[in-house]
Amino acid sequence: MPGDWRSLLALILVFGPLSLFSIGGGASLLAEIEHQAVAVHHWTTHREFADLFAISRAAPGPGTMLSTLIGWKVAGWGGALTATIALYLPSSLLVFGVSRVWGRWRGSLWHGAIEQGLAPIAAGLVLAGGLAVLQAAGGAAVWTAAAVATVILLRWPKLNPLILFGISGVLFAIAALFGHI
Amino acid sequence: MAEISQQGASGAAPVSLAAMFAAFFRLGVTSFGGGTAAWLYRAMVQRRHWIDDQAYLAAVGLSRVVPGSAGVNLTVQVGQRLQGGRGAIVAVLGLLSGPLFIVIGLAAGFAHIAGSSMAHAFLDGVAGAAIGLTFATGLVLVPRGRAQIGQLMITIATVISVGVLRWPMLPVILCLAPVGIGLALLRPGHG
Repeated sequence: MPGDWRSLLALILVFGPLSLFSIGGGASLLAEIEHQAVAVHHWTTHREFADLFAISRAAPGPGTMLSTLIGWKVAGWGGALTATIALYLPSSLLVFGVSRVWGRWRGSLWHGAIEQGLAPIAAGLVLAGGLAVLQAAGGAAVWTAAAVATVILLRWPKLNPLILFGISGVLFAIAALFGHI
Repeated sequence: MAEISQQGASGAAPVSLAAMFAAFFRLGVTSFGGGTAAWLYRAMVQRRHWIDDQAYLAAVGLSRVVPGSAGVNLTVQVGQRLQGGRGAIVAVLGLLSGPLFIVIGLAAGFAHIAGSSMAHAFLDGVAGAAIGLTFATGLVLVPRGRAQIGQLMITIATVISVGVLRWPMLPVILCLAPVGIGLALLRPGHG
């Protein structure tokens, strides 16, 4: 219990600043969250991180609920609330404040330049996030599943990813049953 | 229908906070796969006419530039348009509370069967496919074409520094963002 406020504070200090750097959405934070949760703060092992990532992707919601799960793992419900608020409050306040000014900027040089200039970094961060979780999850089978799923989703972009998650999960469970993984 | 959305913002036919919470709660628990912006359009613009197309598109533009989840940023702006600061808070709480309970419920459920090797294998399979979804999303966004060679270099530099070398993300963004914005400003015919 005495260490509780300290872990809550650590969650705020990790997720609060990240909130203002998640350009192009929550997926861009994946690599940094993995680094902070596993290597810096030892909140989860590689194994647990990969599990939490999988669970967060199977649940509904806007962007990433991964921060919520890490908060929950660290300090229960209080941690879940703290991490969620820390991740979403700063960016929400920013968009709340900026939205009036932004309308006047529409069509200006800077408006387009910021939008276009950050796009290639956002794309890189999303791919880096995939690599970070792959390194955490390890295992040739996971790499293979990731590669196959990438190809399938690029080929059929309208496919509901949950179907693919379910099929992949069941195949892995069957393989485990027969001792192949 | 357009007049309803205008009235909603001006207060003649205000949308109640309870109705907003309910609508955004539903949006949160039904938007799978990160497509919140598209679901929000269907629910708030097409079905309920709470805001019009133009307001939606302006909000989408801003939600992409400001850091944070695009879905949450959109929700903040729609809530703000409907009921000011209180509206924004209620809309975001509605959006996030459902997924929060669901995701923790799933994790707690998994913790009960965590000893089972089959459960672990199942999650490995889900993780693998989910990483595939992440890659597919990122690859679609990768800049392409001869005019975009500088942008492509920025993407590659980001992947190598953050994804392979595992440098911390914040300094990498702070170094690359001015380069990206500068390139966009220098592009011939920009603006």
